Amino acid sequence: MAIDIKKVLLLGGGPTSIGHENELDAAAFERVMALKKTGAQIIYVDNNPFSFASEEIQPANVYVQEVNFQNVINIIDKEKPDAIMATTGGLNAMQIAWQLAESDVLTTNNITLLGMRPTDLKKVIDNQKLRNLLTEINEQVIASKIVANDEEAMDFVRDVGFPVIVKPISPSHDTSRFICNNTDELEDALEVSFKRTYIKRCSIEQSIVGYKEIEMVGLRDSNGNKILISGLEDMDPIGIHSGDSIIFAPTQTLINEEYQALRTATFRIMDALNIAGTCHVQFAQSRTDSNYFVTKVSPFFTRNTLLAAKATGYPLTYVSSFLELGYTLTEIKLPTKYSKYLAFMEPTMDHVVVKIPLWPFRDITDVDQHLNTLMKSVGSTIGIGRTVEEAIIKAMHSSQFSPRDILPSVSTVDDDAVINQLIHPLASRILILMEALRRGFSIDELSELTRIDRFYFYKLNQLLRAQDFVINNPLSAQAVEIGHNYGFGDGMLAELWQVNISTIRRINRNCNPVTYKEVEPSAGEFRETTNIFYSSYELENESKSDSGKTALVIGRGGNQLGPNSAADYYTSQILWTLKKSGYKTIIMNTNPNAVSLTPQLSDKQYIEPIQLGNILNIVSLEKPDVMFLPGNRHYLSNELEKFADLNMIVLPPDQKVAKYKNHQATTAIDVFIDQDKIIPITSISFFTRSDRTEVRYINDYQQPMEQWQTDETELISKALKLLDTSKWQGLVQVLFNKVDSHYHFSGIRPIRITETAFLTKTTGVNWVNALVKKHLGILDFNQLEKQLIPETHQRYSIMKAHFPFRELQSSRTDGTTRQEVGASLSFKNMSNT
Amino acid sequence: MTQRYLILEDGSAYAGKAFGSLATTTGEIVANSTMNGYQEIISNQIYHNQIIVFTQPSIGNTGLDQNAYESILPSAKGVIVREYENLATDHFKRISLDRYLKQHKIPGIYDVDTRQIRHHLQQFGNMKASIVDVADDHAFDQLHATVLTNQQVAQVATPKPYPNPDDGDNVVVVDFGLKSGILRELSKRNCNITVVPWDSSSETILDLDPDGIVLSTGPGAPFNLPDSILQMIRDVQSQVPLFGMGLGHELFALANGAKVVKMRVEHHGSNHPIREIITNEIFFSAQEQGYAVDPKSIDHAKLFITHVDLVNGTVQGLRHRDYPAISVQFSPDGAPGPKDSVGLFDDFIEFMARRRDSNGDRY
Amino acid sequence: MMGKIILDKMAMQRALTRITYEIVEKNKGVEDLVLIGIKTRGIFLANRIADRLQQLENVSIPVGELDITNYRDDIEHDSMSADVKMSNNKIDFSIEGKRVVLVDDVLYTGRTVRAALSAVMDLGRPKSINLAVLVDRGHRELPIRADFVGKNIPSSQKEKIKVYVSEIDDKDAVELIK
Repeated sequence: MAIDIKKVLLLGGGPTSIGHENELDAAAFERVMALKKTGAQIIYVDNNPFSFASEEIQPANVYVQEVNFQNVINIIDKEKPDAIMATTGGLNAMQIAWQLAESDVLTTNNITLLGMRPTDLKKVIDNQKLRNLLTEINEQVIASKIVANDEEAMDFVRDVGFPVIVKPISPSHDTSRFICNNTDELEDALEVSFKRTYIKRCSIEQSIVGYKEIEMVGLRDSNGNKILISGLEDMDPIGIHSGDSIIFAPTQTLINEEYQALRTATFRIMDALNIAGTCHVQFAQSRTDSNYFVTKVSPFFTRNTLLAAKATGYPLTYVSSFLELGYTLTEIKLPTKYSKYLAFMEPTMDHVVVKIPLWPFRDITDVDQHLNTLMKSVGSTIGIGRTVEEAIIKAMHSSQFSPRDILPSVSTVDDDAVINQLIHPLASRILILMEALRRGFSIDELSELTRIDRFYFYKLNQLLRAQDFVINNPLSAQAVEIGHNYGFGDGMLAELWQVNISTIRRINRNCNPVTYKEVEPSAGEFRETTNIFYSSYELENESKSDSGKTALVIGRGGNQLGPNSAADYYTSQILWTLKKSGYKTIIMNTNPNAVSLTPQLSDKQYIEPIQLGNILNIVSLEKPDVMFLPGNRHYLSNELEKFADLNMIVLPPDQKVAKYKNHQATTAIDVFIDQDKIIPITSISFFTRSDRTEVRYINDYQQPMEQWQTDETELISKALKLLDTSKWQGLVQVLFNKVDSHYHFSGIRPIRITETAFLTKTTGVNWVNALVKKHLGILDFNQLEKQLIPETHQRYSIMKAHFPFRELQSSRTDGTTRQEVGASLSFKNMSNT
Repeated sequence: MTQRYLILEDGSAYAGKAFGSLATTTGEIVANSTMNGYQEIISNQIYHNQIIVFTQPSIGNTGLDQNAYESILPSAKGVIVREYENLATDHFKRISLDRYLKQHKIPGIYDVDTRQIRHHLQQFGNMKASIVDVADDHAFDQLHATVLTNQQVAQVATPKPYPNPDDGDNVVVVDFGLKSGILRELSKRNCNITVVPWDSSSETILDLDPDGIVLSTGPGAPFNLPDSILQMIRDVQSQVPLFGMGLGHELFALANGAKVVKMRVEHHGSNHPIREIITNEIFFSAQEQGYAVDPKSIDHAKLFITHVDLVNGTVQGLRHRDYPAISVQFSPDGAPGPKDSVGLFDDFIEFMARRRDSNGDRY
Repeated sequence: MMGKIILDKMAMQRALTRITYEIVEKNKGVEDLVLIGIKTRGIFLANRIADRLQQLENVSIPVGELDITNYRDDIEHDSMSADVKMSNNKIDFSIEGKRVVLVDDVLYTGRTVRAALSAVMDLGRPKSINLAVLVDRGHRELPIRADFVGKNIPSSQKEKIKVYVSEIDDKDAVELIK
């Protein structure tokens, strides 16, 4: 029975951090689009300046505030919503929902918590209650105890023995777990953990290190109907955080009995919790018998919930929104492009998806880089293929930092280091696994050392054999065919043979052309039109080029420190603008958490490595009228420029064109330039955490500048004089360094991605939209000018960067712009200053 | 790697690489989209005389497990898959898929566009196919000339009765091409099982003093079997609780006056929601069906429709109005496939318990 | 005191489903059928059976609610008139000539059912009375037998059987409590 909702409060995911990328924003965006269909008024709270979801809501209904208990209570008092949706706000939002229930705010205000009843939510949030519940329904949980001091911890260990895992209760973030094999390690772990808990309690549990980690994502409606979206298998064993693990969908090494047992367990858990919506359950599966433990129950959106949806093509966010509103699976009407049965058909896959995480160790080097129970990755990329090998290689391409299409070599690592890294893995884990195979380690030996299933070594071995064949048979049609079959793109073949990519494309003319297969949840039973494609060299091509004006937008791939999720925000704005300007939009991206891959933003999605060969293949098929390429892909833009018939626009702009007089700045004037016209936008004050003024340490921004009352007008006119419109176009920032109340000019640069998002949130003008339109020649300059009537400043807008230092156990507090993981936005009234 | 061909009755041919046996075979081609349990699928007798296209892209990953065969002698005519992995042994001492297929003379082809084949079959319906060395006119002539047997049940079912003793309810399983999953579920519930040949008479069966009777799954069309089987069903259903599955369900329907039709495209998968009418709940189970009970032909004074497939509307479950006799089209044993409906075996056990409680006075 | 789940939600659903079919089977249809649930949980179970009959036969079967407190044999109530005794009940249909199915959660000594039979008899003369219970735990003290049983759960008298229904208990389950 659908619940009648007039006004719903949606809790946002907050700033991105380790453990939380833009998946929550992507889910919230899709949810907002779905909720709009119900006619309900949406109130949104989030202080993530890179939130795309919030821009689809009436500005008056968006509360730019930290998502915390007190703020939510204040919003409830003011808005009087009749329902709350917390499932797209991560664990934080669920905890707030629980607090609201505990403190009777929900009952007093007659607010429905959507998705779960408060009594059931309590069973999930409270670990001991969850354990009781699981035990009651005959699901095994690992022995665990909550301890308040070292003595209690020792008592526990005397009972169950080492190894044990220690983690803080109500931690400051949800990623810290320590495996302890002996008393010394236990003491260290307890010391750190007691420091991190708000309530001075730690949990200690029996370790299941080495078990397989299997994840299940299911949906349930209020009538008790359930479907399983997908099973996911972590290649890495328990002991490496699931967020740092290479993940396969569907599961690869479970026999039917094991798989079905976990499926049934997932359903039983969803039933016991009366969930209406989605639930992600994690299991530890024994390698030697059919025993398993339930390790985590997340009845809300997680990274891997979204991965399961991406992997199958099932419109999970859309469907779960309606499930939370009380609709049953059979009542939900999907957008017309899907077959009418799809909402309640269990997804089946005829492809393989591999997710490889991205770690921040290039930007933050002085931390422990070992992969363990503490999550360290900041992003991930996926590869999709028709075979396991193809999917692995594509995910590997996509996860490389190298601008060129080549996998880094670890051939110089000595044997001892290889063995060491097999046992204590680093970010380069998969390359080391392949290197070990190349050096003749046996599969049994490797499986023993790494606790990785032998299956994966067989697959890696086949990749190595294919690679050897390709290397040993340069420029042969057969080598191209085998290379293609195993997922080596044209670009990779060109790199392996040290030739130009057009040579490969010439050889390929006699081979099978690339084909695109649709990612859809019926495994070919129905002609679904999800319009999500991946390449494979087979017979049938399912992607047909669109008629009409088309635009191809190249995404940013997996999140990395620096612009991080702001980059994807930018890509999403490009797509949205193009779509609203009448273009058929095509996005190419590999980030499973990307907002830019939500179905509403594009007419077509290619989940393909963002590499030259893959782009050229898509360009040949789609013949886009215009193509957008991110400015940081220099190699790609240089290579693509050789293809004269490409109408290529570089956005976001390349920061390398910045001109610095010196690298010190405190203040800036932001302007927009279209041909010879300049609109001053605003002034900005920069802040650094340590009173430094070096540009690379500028992480915090305030709009308008300090002392704008006296200095802004003068500084703007100073800036305008410095700008040569024949050199600078678009969003441009003039930097000044204030020394002893004098503003010294220090440089000009394109406005950075994060600041562009900040400007859009604070000025009420969508600057990405303006840039895109300018490039397309459809910008209405006068209208833009009108939108920006200079007004007396009412408030300060402040954006502060967040760094992942604490999660990475670094003692640093101040970082560079390249080390940012996210940011928070706030406003301050002038009168308060 | 030997190149071999899958050729279809309508003239299409697909080149791929050989694995398993190098035999040349002909059968009906069907696509199966269940994502787990290639071993259970290949060893299911229901695939007698059929070539199975797996839409699951990669099979063989876990070898073959001694505990997961659905029959001792598989009789599928071929396996078509995008990719296979030839993993041999691990902790469980499993054997490899390639070796298994060679042992049982089942040819396989991999590295073919199975997604295209699936699309092709969805569009053009069921057809004959062959796995051959050369896709020439001769091969197509042979394919066209081959008449597939309609005596599948006689070929795969046990010719002699055999026991599977335990100390619980006496259950007689009529073997039409039985899958072991049914026996496993009955054994878990301590049933004292006697498996009898498909053509056993009602006297033979009732003489075994059964507490309940199971009509097993099996290959082929129900209307190719003699009417004596329908008479047997009518005789026993009024005396003893009855549970039919797959072919057993189709026979139960025929015995009670319903019609069974051949589907244009066989459905093999576990992705269709099955609605239980009485509770209005949906669940999933492996379905391997080439035939379907026509809902319009049901005599509602005799039978309840208990389950329907929400995608294609086919009858998925029946129950007699007057007796505890039920049948389902799908495989509730979940070997392979979801275990959502494994409770049907508990219901069957309860039927038998109720019958004992009432000392047979209901009959 | 630790409860052990004997019937989980699924098993409970199935038991009610099976009972529903058996009711139709035994009564050769649903003609003249009425359900009467005995006090708290029997009422919810009766309603669920009625929902199932609605799904199955597309008929609306009347469901009555019976509180047998005033009919218990351990209470002095001879002085009460039938009207007073029945005052806690909600049976707004005639049972004259009907096929009545009494529904309760647990069948134990049989005293509750005996009381229910008395109460029903006070209401009129039904064509037949049958008894449906979710659990039969044995230890009968009266010659009473259920016609439809969800599950036989042999139990010692020291043990307790607790039936939970999600309408009021936040879950569906039958637990054996030692």
